[in-house]
Amino acid sequence: MSTDTLLRLTQPTPFLFFTGKGGVGKTSAASATALGLARAGKRVLIVSTDPASNLDAVLATELLATPTPITGEPNLFGLNIDPEAAARAYRERVIGPVRDVLPASAVASIEEQLSGACTVEVAAFDEFTGLMSGDATAREFDHIVFDTAPTGHTLRLLQLPAAWTSFLETNERGASCLGPLSGLKNSQERYARSLAALSDASETTLVLVTRAERSALSEAERTRVELEKLGVTNQFLLINGVFHASDRDDALALRLEALGQAALAAMPRGLAALPSFEVPLKPHNLVGLDALASFFDQAPFHGLSEPRVASADVLENVAPLSSLVDEVAAAGHGLVMFMGKGGVGKTTMAAAVAVELASRGLPVHLTTTDPAAHLEGTLAEEVPHLRVSRIDPLAETEAYRERILARSRATLDDDALALLEEDLRSPCTEEVAVFHAFSRAVFSSKREIVVMDTAPTGHTLLLLDAAGSYHRETLRQAGAGSRLGTPLMRLQDAAETRVVIVTLAETTPVQEAAHLQEDLRRAAIEPYGWVINRSLAATGTTDPLLRARAAAELPEIRAVKAKHAERVFLVPWSADEPTGVAALRSLVQPDHPHVPQESSCSNTP
Amino acid sequence: MNTKNITVYDPAMCCSTGVCGPEVDPDLARFSADLEWLAAQGVAVRRFNLAQEPGAFVGDADAQAALEHRGASALPLIKADDVVVSSGVYPSRVQLATWAGVASAASGCCADEAAPVAKQPRCC
Repeated sequence: MSTDTLLRLTQPTPFLFFTGKGGVGKTSAASATALGLARAGKRVLIVSTDPASNLDAVLATELLATPTPITGEPNLFGLNIDPEAAARAYRERVIGPVRDVLPASAVASIEEQLSGACTVEVAAFDEFTGLMSGDATAREFDHIVFDTAPTGHTLRLLQLPAAWTSFLETNERGASCLGPLSGLKNSQERYARSLAALSDASETTLVLVTRAERSALSEAERTRVELEKLGVTNQFLLINGVFHASDRDDALALRLEALGQAALAAMPRGLAALPSFEVPLKPHNLVGLDALASFFDQAPFHGLSEPRVASADVLENVAPLSSLVDEVAAAGHGLVMFMGKGGVGKTTMAAAVAVELASRGLPVHLTTTDPAAHLEGTLAEEVPHLRVSRIDPLAETEAYRERILARSRATLDDDALALLEEDLRSPCTEEVAVFHAFSRAVFSSKREIVVMDTAPTGHTLLLLDAAGSYHRETLRQAGAGSRLGTPLMRLQDAAETRVVIVTLAETTPVQEAAHLQEDLRRAAIEPYGWVINRSLAATGTTDPLLRARAAAELPEIRAVKAKHAERVFLVPWSADEPTGVAALRSLVQPDHPHVPQESSCSNTP
Repeated sequence: MNTKNITVYDPAMCCSTGVCGPEVDPDLARFSADLEWLAAQGVAVRRFNLAQEPGAFVGDADAQAALEHRGASALPLIKADDVVVSSGVYPSRVQLATWAGVASAASGCCADEAAPVAKQPRCC
């Protein structure tokens, strides 16, 4: 059985969580484990809690909000916790009984209150604790495998049971600001059971998925420490996509191998102490059950007989990032936002564009809303004209609380202040505080160039949703004909804002980017273009496995050009993790080889 | 002392202090504290939020009628026992005390004049 590696290390517990930085292969690892357990005769449910889940594509089955049988696998079921859908269901539970009894305007005001980010977060959380505390659905399965959302979100999701339990305990006045959660107080027992299950090694296993990359490893270490603090001690480390060069003449392949080994050698001590196993890099995309079943295979790759690599048409009409920089530099101000799933390189792209603009003498503000930001690490050096700031949710929430309390001290007595302080400890506050910080950065783009590396998709959409409610509220207060701008209006203005979607030339990332683009268009935001990052096809690699992966990129690049984006920027895979100023600038102005060598790869008739 | 029951029907909002909106209105926190003070004087205080307990609005003929005729601008609606005493504004502590039939606070913490307050129908 292909999952032997994993199963030999761990007695599979009822709950298995897979977590890690976006793009490390959480979904593949979780699905492959679930498949392995199911084929070993266990009844298994795999759950996605990611707002931008791609589990459907991986399992080749459209998953519903209830356990959905996976085609051809009698023991395997999948379930997709769609936070938006959960929120809709929650709204309906509240509004349904009174819809025909109350006037339409009253119903509309309830609907608006329950359409915010809080309700979404809370409704998803409710589903999650349901499965963790052994509800009827959960009891039908031997194992529940959670393919969790990118790490920042995962942390919040996993911390929520602890946060809510203590919040409910300490809230003496009956939890006035649980807001959308008010009806859930009766289920306090359920949260307690979830928390107990999470910290019981016989019930819960946490698999930290990583790559042999410095940033992915330090993210895994952060998660390890955070979750250990919460009592989740039964942890395993899965190092995915480990690469061994088979063409010892390919400098790029050798460099890639050496980088991976160096990153593993420098692994944080706490991680190194965990039981771990390695999964080799695969030559193909892991989509579909057959591909998944090979996930844990250790056999080396022997190369395709006749690998087809780049044909010229694929690389035509793709621009370097410098053309984006030229446009922004000409305007002298405005907003450039890089969006995409975690792990595709938004932070690096934002840093590269910001550094290039700054090095042309333009004042640039580089900012990030990514809860798991590593921007400071990426850009350790000081660059003239460049200001780097981070929207840190915790710091923003604290500052926001202080601001509100300071303003209210003059007008409120001690009792009222105590009440306000208590309400400000609600989880809603963080969402509002982060949104305020986000708006400030958006508005400062009237005067300067602001480059933003936004958080992973789910979080980004929540931010935009918050901006949307704010938009409506402001317009309503100002009355018709208002000329007040709102954050969303600025995001919608193509002259002011360039939204760039970052993706990789792989099946799942391209699908996810297309979903993101649809979501943006629903909010009347038209993306400026797509960056295809870390393309092997744009290098001249001769390593058999890398060539096979480069060949697999071509249909994806074609699809992006034909179906998704007018402007496509192709960034070649770079041997070094771009951390310094020089490395970042070389992503924008590549002077390294860009077009594949026809001699070794030309196979087109 | 023969006090009356105070019932507040709030507009749809996330929480009683409005901290979840884009801006916090201190008067909402003030009003919440006033209700707590009232309760501490032995007055039975009940408070319903349209977004959380719409059923309570349906179950009360006055609240239902107010919504019917004036829409959400009728809120907050305040009743002392079975009598509607205020609609569309957040009253002061003195007013609340008067309606409930208790002596208003001597602690000097609150405004004496009626302070109509803009509603805060927002949430995160």
